[in-house]
Amino acid sequence: MFHAFDSHSANPHGERAQWMALLARAPMALLDPALGQHAQGAPRWLRPPETGLMMVQGRAGGTGERFNLGEVTVTRCALRLPAQRHEDAAVGVAYVLGRSHRHAQLAAVADALLQDPALKVSLDATLLVPLRAHLARESEARHARAQSSKVEFFTVARQSGTNSEDEEDGA
Amino acid sequence: MNPVDLKSVGAGFSELSFGSQAVFRAALHALSHPGRPVDMVHDAEVPTQGHAAAAALLLALLDPDCRLWLSPSLAGSDAAAWLRFHCGCVLVAEPAEAQFAWVAAGDEAPPFACFAQGSDSYPDQSTTCVLEVSGVVESTAELDPASWRLQGPGIRDLVSLRVEGLAPSTAATLLAERARDHATFPRGVDLFLASPRQIVGLPRTTRIALEG
Repeated sequence: MFHAFDSHSANPHGERAQWMALLARAPMALLDPALGQHAQGAPRWLRPPETGLMMVQGRAGGTGERFNLGEVTVTRCALRLPAQRHEDAAVGVAYVLGRSHRHAQLAAVADALLQDPALKVSLDATLLVPLRAHLARESEARHARAQSSKVEFFTVARQSGTNSEDEEDGA
Repeated sequence: MNPVDLKSVGAGFSELSFGSQAVFRAALHALSHPGRPVDMVHDAEVPTQGHAAAAALLLALLDPDCRLWLSPSLAGSDAAAWLRFHCGCVLVAEPAEAQFAWVAAGDEAPPFACFAQGSDSYPDQSTTCVLEVSGVVESTAELDPASWRLQGPGIRDLVSLRVEGLAPSTAATLLAERARDHATFPRGVDLFLASPRQIVGLPRTTRIALEG
Protein backbone atom coordinates (compact mmCIF):
# COMPACT_ATOMS: atom_id res chain seq x y z
CA MET A 1 0.00 0.00 0.00
CA PHE A 2 1.21 3.45 -0.79
CA HIS A 3 0.58 6.09 1.87
CA ALA A 4 1.49 9.70 2.24
CA PHE A 5 2.31 9.58 5.93
CA ASP A 6 1.74 13.24 6.65
CA SER A 7 -1.53 13.73 4.82
CA HIS A 8 -4.29 15.15 6.98
CA SER A 9 -6.84 12.62 5.90
CA ALA A 10 -7.48 9.48 7.92
CA ASN A 11 -4.11 7.85 8.40
CA PRO A 12 -3.95 4.15 9.18
CA HIS A 13 -0.64 4.62 10.98
CA GLY A 14 -2.00 7.10 13.48
CA GLU A 15 -1.05 10.50 14.65
CA ARG A 16 2.46 9.56 15.75
CA ALA A 17 3.44 8.45 12.25
CA GLN A 18 2.25 11.82 11.00
CA TRP A 19 4.40 13.88 13.32
CA MET A 20 7.39 11.58 12.84
CA ALA A 21 7.13 12.14 9.08
CA LEU A 22 6.96 15.89 9.65
CA LEU A 23 9.94 15.91 12.05
CA ALA A 24 12.03 13.88 9.63
CA ARG A 25 11.74 16.66 7.08
CA ALA A 26 12.01 19.57 9.49
CA PRO A 27 14.82 22.04 8.87
CA MET A 28 17.19 22.43 11.81
CA ALA A 29 16.42 26.15 11.98
CA LEU A 30 12.86 25.29 13.03
CA LEU A 31 13.60 22.28 15.25
CA ASP A 32 16.35 23.71 17.41
CA PRO A 33 14.61 26.82 18.80
CA ALA A 34 11.24 25.10 19.23
CA LEU A 35 12.68 22.46 21.55
CA GLY A 36 14.38 25.02 23.80
CA GLN A 37 16.34 23.49 26.67
CA HIS A 38 15.19 19.99 25.71
CA ALA A 39 17.56 20.23 22.76
CA GLN A 40 20.53 20.94 25.03
CA GLY A 41 20.54 18.08 27.55
CA ALA A 42 22.48 14.89 26.95
CA PRO A 43 19.94 12.19 26.12
CA ARG A 44 20.03 8.64 27.39
CA TRP A 45 20.55 6.64 24.25
CA LEU A 46 18.64 3.49 23.62
CA ARG A 47 20.31 3.37 20.25
CA PRO A 48 22.86 6.06 19.50
CA PRO A 49 22.57 7.75 16.09
CA GLU A 50 23.80 5.48 13.33
CA THR A 51 23.91 6.09 9.61
CA GLY A 52 23.22 3.43 7.04
CA LEU A 53 21.61 2.67 3.73
CA MET A 54 18.01 1.76 3.10
CA MET A 55 16.53 0.43 -0.10
CA VAL A 56 13.69 2.58 -1.34
CA GLN A 57 11.01 0.80 -3.31
CA GLY A 58 8.70 2.42 -5.77
CA ARG A 59 5.75 1.47 -7.91
CA ALA A 60 5.48 2.47 -11.56
CA GLY A 61 2.71 5.05 -11.67
CA GLY A 62 2.13 4.56 -7.95
CA THR A 63 0.12 1.39 -8.55
CA GLY A 64 2.31 -1.09 -10.45
CA GLU A 65 4.58 -3.81 -9.15
CA ARG A 66 7.19 -2.88 -6.54
CA PHE A 67 10.68 -2.32 -7.80
CA ASN A 68 13.88 -1.25 -6.07
CA LEU A 69 14.36 2.41 -6.83
CA GLY A 70 17.71 2.90 -5.15
CA GLU A 71 19.40 3.30 -1.81
CA VAL A 72 19.17 6.34 0.40
CA THR A 73 21.30 7.37 3.36
CA VAL A 74 19.29 7.24 6.57
CA THR A 75 20.27 8.16 10.13
CA ARG A 76 18.25 6.68 12.95
CA CYS A 77 18.30 6.77 16.74
CA ALA A 78 16.17 6.01 19.79
CA LEU A 79 16.47 7.76 23.14
CA ARG A 80 14.89 8.48 26.49
CA LEU A 81 14.52 11.98 27.86
CA PRO A 82 17.07 12.68 30.61
CA ALA A 83 14.92 14.16 33.36
CA GLN A 84 12.29 11.47 33.71
CA ARG A 85 12.27 8.25 35.69
CA HIS A 86 13.28 5.15 33.76
CA GLU A 87 9.89 3.44 33.90
CA ASP A 88 7.65 6.19 32.57
CA ALA A 89 10.09 7.98 30.30
CA ALA A 90 8.71 8.09 26.80
CA VAL A 91 10.98 6.71 24.12
CA GLY A 92 11.57 8.91 21.11
CA VAL A 93 12.49 7.36 17.78
CA ALA A 94 13.64 9.08 14.62
CA TYR A 95 14.56 8.00 11.12
CA VAL A 96 15.74 10.91 8.97
CA LEU A 97 17.25 11.16 5.53
CA GLY A 98 20.89 12.17 5.40
CA ARG A 99 23.81 11.92 7.77
CA SER A 100 22.99 14.52 10.39
CA HIS A 101 23.14 12.88 13.82
CA ARG A 102 21.96 16.12 15.42
CA HIS A 103 18.83 16.17 13.26
CA ALA A 104 18.01 12.56 14.21
CA GLN A 105 18.55 13.38 17.88
CA LEU A 106 16.30 16.46 17.83
CA ALA A 107 13.59 14.67 15.89
CA ALA A 108 13.65 11.84 18.45
CA VAL A 109 13.52 14.33 21.36
CA ALA A 110 10.52 16.00 19.76
CA ASP A 111 8.88 12.61 19.19
CA ALA A 112 9.32 11.74 22.88
CA LEU A 113 7.94 15.12 24.01
CA LEU A 114 4.92 14.87 21.71
CA GLN A 115 3.90 11.61 23.38
CA ASP A 116 3.28 13.56 26.60
CA PRO A 117 -0.29 14.88 26.28
CA ALA A 118 0.49 17.94 28.43
CA LEU A 119 3.40 19.03 26.27
CA LYS A 120 1.76 18.08 23.01
CA VAL A 121 -0.60 21.06 22.92
CA SER A 122 2.13 23.67 23.25
CA LEU A 123 4.56 21.83 21.01
CA ASP A 124 1.87 21.43 18.39
CA ALA A 125 1.55 25.21 18.24
CA THR A 126 5.25 26.09 18.38
CA LEU A 127 6.64 23.30 16.20
CA LEU A 128 4.18 21.27 14.16
CA VAL A 129 2.01 24.11 12.84
CA PRO A 130 4.96 26.23 11.63
CA LEU A 131 6.50 23.05 10.27
CA ARG A 132 3.43 22.16 8.23
CA ALA A 133 3.31 25.74 6.91
CA HIS A 134 6.99 25.62 5.99
CA LEU A 135 6.69 22.31 4.16
CA ALA A 136 3.56 23.51 2.35
CA ARG A 137 5.40 26.67 1.24
CA GLU A 138 8.33 24.60 0.06
CA SER A 139 6.17 22.25 -1.91
CA GLU A 140 4.29 25.23 -3.37
CA ALA A 141 7.56 26.81 -4.50
CA ARG A 142 8.75 23.55 -6.02
CA HIS A 143 5.45 23.14 -7.80
CA ALA A 144 5.64 26.68 -9.19
CA ARG A 145 9.20 26.10 -10.39
CA ALA A 146 8.15 22.92 -12.15
CA GLN A 147 5.09 24.62 -13.65
CA SER A 148 7.23 27.29 -15.31
CA SER A 149 8.91 24.67 -17.48
CA LYS A 150 5.76 22.71 -18.23
CA VAL A 151 5.28 21.67 -21.81
CA GLU A 152 1.76 21.12 -23.11
CA PHE A 153 1.29 18.50 -25.77
CA PHE A 154 -1.63 18.85 -28.09
CA THR A 155 -3.03 16.23 -30.35
CA VAL A 156 -4.53 17.64 -33.50
CA ALA A 157 -7.73 15.81 -34.19
CA ARG A 158 -8.15 14.72 -37.76
CA GLN A 159 -10.89 16.81 -39.24
CA SER A 160 -11.31 14.84 -42.44
CA GLY A 161 -11.79 11.34 -41.00
CA THR A 162 -15.00 10.56 -42.84
CA ASN A 163 -13.66 11.88 -46.12
CA SER A 164 -10.65 9.58 -46.10
CA GLU A 165 -12.89 6.61 -45.56
CA ASP A 166 -14.95 7.65 -48.50
CA GLU A 167 -11.80 7.89 -50.60
CA GLU A 168 -10.77 4.39 -49.62
CA ASP A 169 -14.19 3.13 -50.50
CA GLY A 170 -13.95 4.78 -53.84
CA ALA A 171 -10.46 3.43 -54.62
CA MET B 1 5.07 -7.79 13.08
CA ASN B 2 3.76 -6.24 16.27
CA PRO B 3 5.22 -2.93 17.32
CA VAL B 4 7.50 -3.40 20.29
CA ASP B 5 6.78 -1.34 23.37
CA LEU B 6 10.10 0.39 23.79
CA LYS B 7 9.40 1.58 27.32
CA SER B 8 10.62 -1.69 28.78
CA VAL B 9 13.64 -1.95 26.50
CA GLY B 10 17.04 -1.09 27.95
CA ALA B 11 20.08 0.22 26.12
CA GLY B 12 22.60 -2.09 24.50
CA PHE B 13 26.38 -1.80 24.81
CA SER B 14 27.36 1.83 25.38
CA GLU B 15 30.10 1.43 22.75
CA LEU B 16 28.55 -0.91 20.23
CA SER B 17 31.66 -2.28 18.56
CA PHE B 18 33.95 -2.36 21.61
CA GLY B 19 31.25 -3.88 23.82
CA SER B 20 30.31 -6.65 21.42
CA GLN B 21 33.95 -7.37 20.56
CA ALA B 22 34.82 -7.79 24.24
CA VAL B 23 31.94 -10.24 24.70
CA PHE B 24 32.86 -12.06 21.49
CA ARG B 25 36.41 -12.41 22.79
CA ALA B 26 35.04 -13.92 26.00
CA ALA B 27 32.92 -16.36 23.97
CA LEU B 28 35.96 -17.42 21.92
CA HIS B 29 37.93 -17.85 25.12
CA ALA B 30 35.16 -19.98 26.61
CA LEU B 31 34.98 -22.23 23.53
CA SER B 32 38.74 -22.68 23.32
CA HIS B 33 38.92 -23.71 26.98
CA PRO B 34 35.85 -25.89 27.44
CA GLY B 35 34.72 -26.10 31.03
CA ARG B 36 36.50 -22.98 32.19
CA PRO B 37 34.12 -20.30 33.54
CA VAL B 38 34.76 -16.98 31.80
CA ASP B 39 33.64 -13.67 33.31
CA MET B 40 31.32 -11.60 31.16
CA VAL B 41 32.22 -7.94 31.45
CA HIS B 42 29.75 -5.64 29.73
CA ASP B 43 27.75 -2.47 30.31
CA ALA B 44 24.49 -3.33 28.57
CA GLU B 45 21.19 -2.66 30.35
CA VAL B 46 20.09 -6.28 30.29
CA PRO B 47 16.42 -7.28 30.50
CA THR B 48 14.88 -8.37 33.79
CA GLN B 49 14.13 -11.86 32.49
CA GLY B 50 17.09 -14.16 31.96
CA HIS B 51 20.66 -14.07 33.15
CA ALA B 52 22.79 -11.06 32.32
CA ALA B 53 25.64 -13.16 30.93
CA ALA B 54 23.32 -15.00 28.53
CA ALA B 55 21.70 -11.76 27.41
CA ALA B 56 25.04 -10.05 26.74
CA LEU B 57 26.36 -13.09 24.88
CA LEU B 58 23.36 -13.18 22.56
CA LEU B 59 23.42 -9.40 22.14
CA ALA B 60 26.97 -9.69 20.81
CA LEU B 61 26.40 -12.77 18.63
CA LEU B 62 23.04 -12.10 16.97
CA ASP B 63 22.35 -10.06 13.86
CA PRO B 64 19.36 -9.64 11.52
CA ASP B 65 20.20 -12.88 9.67
CA CYS B 66 19.92 -14.99 12.84
CA ARG B 67 16.94 -17.06 13.88
CA LEU B 68 16.50 -17.35 17.64
CA TRP B 69 14.38 -19.74 19.69
CA LEU B 70 13.40 -18.70 23.22
CA SER B 71 12.18 -20.96 25.99
CA PRO B 72 8.57 -20.28 27.12
CA SER B 73 9.33 -17.93 30.01
CA LEU B 74 11.54 -15.75 27.80
CA ALA B 75 9.38 -15.81 24.68
CA GLY B 76 6.89 -13.14 25.74
CA SER B 77 9.21 -11.21 28.03
CA ASP B 78 11.22 -8.03 27.77
CA ALA B 79 14.22 -10.16 26.83
CA ALA B 80 12.58 -11.00 23.50
CA ALA B 81 11.77 -7.35 22.82
CA TRP B 82 15.29 -6.30 23.82
CA LEU B 83 17.01 -8.72 21.43
CA ARG B 84 14.53 -7.94 18.65
CA PHE B 85 15.21 -4.22 19.02
CA HIS B 86 18.99 -4.31 19.28
CA CYS B 87 19.88 -7.26 17.03
CA GLY B 88 16.91 -7.38 14.67
CA CYS B 89 17.02 -11.17 14.93
CA VAL B 90 14.08 -13.34 13.88
CA LEU B 91 12.21 -15.22 16.62
CA VAL B 92 11.09 -18.70 15.61
CA ALA B 93 8.67 -21.08 17.32
CA GLU B 94 10.38 -24.31 16.24
CA PRO B 95 13.73 -25.15 17.86
CA ALA B 96 14.80 -26.95 14.69
CA GLU B 97 14.67 -23.72 12.67
CA ALA B 98 16.82 -21.78 15.10
CA GLN B 99 20.52 -21.00 14.82
CA PHE B 100 20.56 -19.87 18.43
CA ALA B 101 18.48 -20.97 21.38
CA TRP B 102 18.17 -19.44 24.83
CA VAL B 103 16.79 -21.65 27.60
CA ALA B 104 15.90 -19.80 30.81
CA ALA B 105 16.80 -21.15 34.23
CA GLY B 106 13.32 -22.34 35.23
CA ASP B 107 12.39 -23.82 31.88
CA GLU B 108 12.88 -27.36 30.80
CA ALA B 109 15.42 -27.65 28.01
CA PRO B 110 13.99 -29.40 24.97
CA PRO B 111 15.82 -32.56 23.90
CA PHE B 112 18.91 -31.73 21.87
CA ALA B 113 17.53 -33.79 19.02
CA CYS B 114 14.89 -31.05 18.54
CA PHE B 115 17.55 -28.51 17.61
CA ALA B 116 19.12 -28.17 14.19
CA GLN B 117 22.06 -30.60 13.98
CA GLY B 118 23.61 -29.28 10.81
CA SER B 119 24.61 -31.66 8.06
CA ASP B 120 27.83 -33.49 7.31
CA SER B 121 28.62 -30.96 4.59
CA TYR B 122 27.52 -27.95 6.66
CA PRO B 123 28.00 -28.78 10.35
CA ASP B 124 28.06 -25.04 11.07
CA GLN B 125 24.32 -24.82 10.44
CA SER B 126 23.47 -26.39 13.78
CA THR B 127 21.93 -24.60 16.72
CA THR B 128 24.08 -22.92 19.36
CA CYS B 129 22.25 -23.35 22.65
CA VAL B 130 22.63 -21.02 25.64
CA LEU B 131 21.46 -22.83 28.75
CA GLU B 132 21.03 -20.93 31.99
CA VAL B 133 22.26 -22.46 35.24
CA SER B 134 22.56 -20.81 38.62
CA GLY B 135 26.30 -21.35 38.96
CA VAL B 136 29.36 -22.96 37.42
CA VAL B 137 32.50 -23.76 39.38
CA GLU B 138 35.63 -25.39 38.08
CA SER B 139 36.09 -27.89 40.86
CA THR B 140 39.49 -28.93 42.15
CA ALA B 141 41.11 -32.31 42.27
CA GLU B 142 38.99 -33.90 45.00
CA LEU B 143 36.24 -36.09 43.68
CA ASP B 144 32.93 -34.33 43.69
CA PRO B 145 30.10 -36.75 42.97
CA ALA B 146 27.91 -34.12 41.34
CA SER B 147 30.48 -32.63 39.01
CA TRP B 148 30.92 -33.20 35.29
CA ARG B 149 34.16 -34.66 33.93
CA LEU B 150 35.08 -33.02 30.64
CA GLN B 151 37.52 -34.35 28.07
CA GLY B 152 38.30 -33.41 24.52
CA PRO B 153 40.08 -30.81 22.39
CA GLY B 154 41.18 -27.77 24.40
CA ILE B 155 41.47 -29.76 27.63
CA ARG B 156 44.87 -31.08 28.64
CA ASP B 157 43.79 -34.05 30.76
CA LEU B 158 40.50 -33.60 32.42
CA VAL B 159 38.37 -30.74 33.70
CA SER B 160 35.97 -31.17 36.53
CA LEU B 161 33.03 -28.78 36.43
CA ARG B 162 30.35 -28.39 39.06
CA VAL B 163 27.09 -27.14 37.56
CA GLU B 164 24.57 -25.73 40.02
CA GLY B 165 20.89 -25.22 39.43
CA LEU B 166 20.23 -28.18 37.14
CA ALA B 167 18.07 -30.98 38.49
CA PRO B 168 20.11 -34.24 38.62
CA SER B 169 17.63 -36.00 36.34
CA THR B 170 17.76 -33.13 33.82
CA ALA B 171 21.53 -33.17 33.86
CA ALA B 172 21.61 -36.94 33.39
CA THR B 173 19.23 -36.81 30.40
CA LEU B 174 21.16 -33.93 28.90
CA LEU B 175 24.48 -35.70 29.17
CA ALA B 176 23.08 -38.99 27.88
CA GLU B 177 21.70 -37.22 24.81
CA ARG B 178 25.00 -35.51 24.24
CA ALA B 179 26.92 -38.77 24.49
CA ARG B 180 24.57 -40.29 21.92
CA ASP B 181 24.98 -37.31 19.57
CA HIS B 182 28.74 -37.84 19.54
CA ALA B 183 28.14 -40.71 17.11
CA THR B 184 26.87 -38.26 14.49
CA PHE B 185 29.93 -35.96 14.63
CA PRO B 186 30.56 -33.48 12.90
CA ARG B 187 26.87 -32.82 13.38
CA GLY B 188 25.85 -31.69 16.85
CA VAL B 189 24.82 -28.82 19.05
CA ASP B 190 27.26 -26.39 20.65
CA LEU B 191 26.38 -25.45 24.18
CA PHE B 192 27.02 -22.47 26.41
CA LEU B 193 26.18 -22.65 30.10
CA ALA B 194 25.38 -19.20 31.46
CA SER B 195 25.35 -18.32 35.14
CA PRO B 196 24.37 -14.74 36.05
CA ARG B 197 27.95 -13.48 35.64
CA GLN B 198 29.88 -16.17 33.78
CA ILE B 199 29.70 -18.40 30.75
CA VAL B 200 31.15 -21.84 30.08
CA GLY B 201 31.65 -23.09 26.55
CA LEU B 202 30.92 -26.74 25.80
CA PRO B 203 31.52 -27.22 22.05
CA ARG B 204 30.27 -30.42 20.43
CA THR B 205 33.74 -31.94 20.60
CA THR B 206 33.77 -31.96 24.41
CA ARG B 207 32.92 -35.33 25.94
CA ILE B 208 31.07 -35.07 29.23
CA ALA B 209 30.61 -37.76 31.85
CA LEU B 210 29.02 -37.57 35.26
CA GLU B 211 31.47 -38.16 38.07
CA GLY B 212 31.36 -41.40 39.99
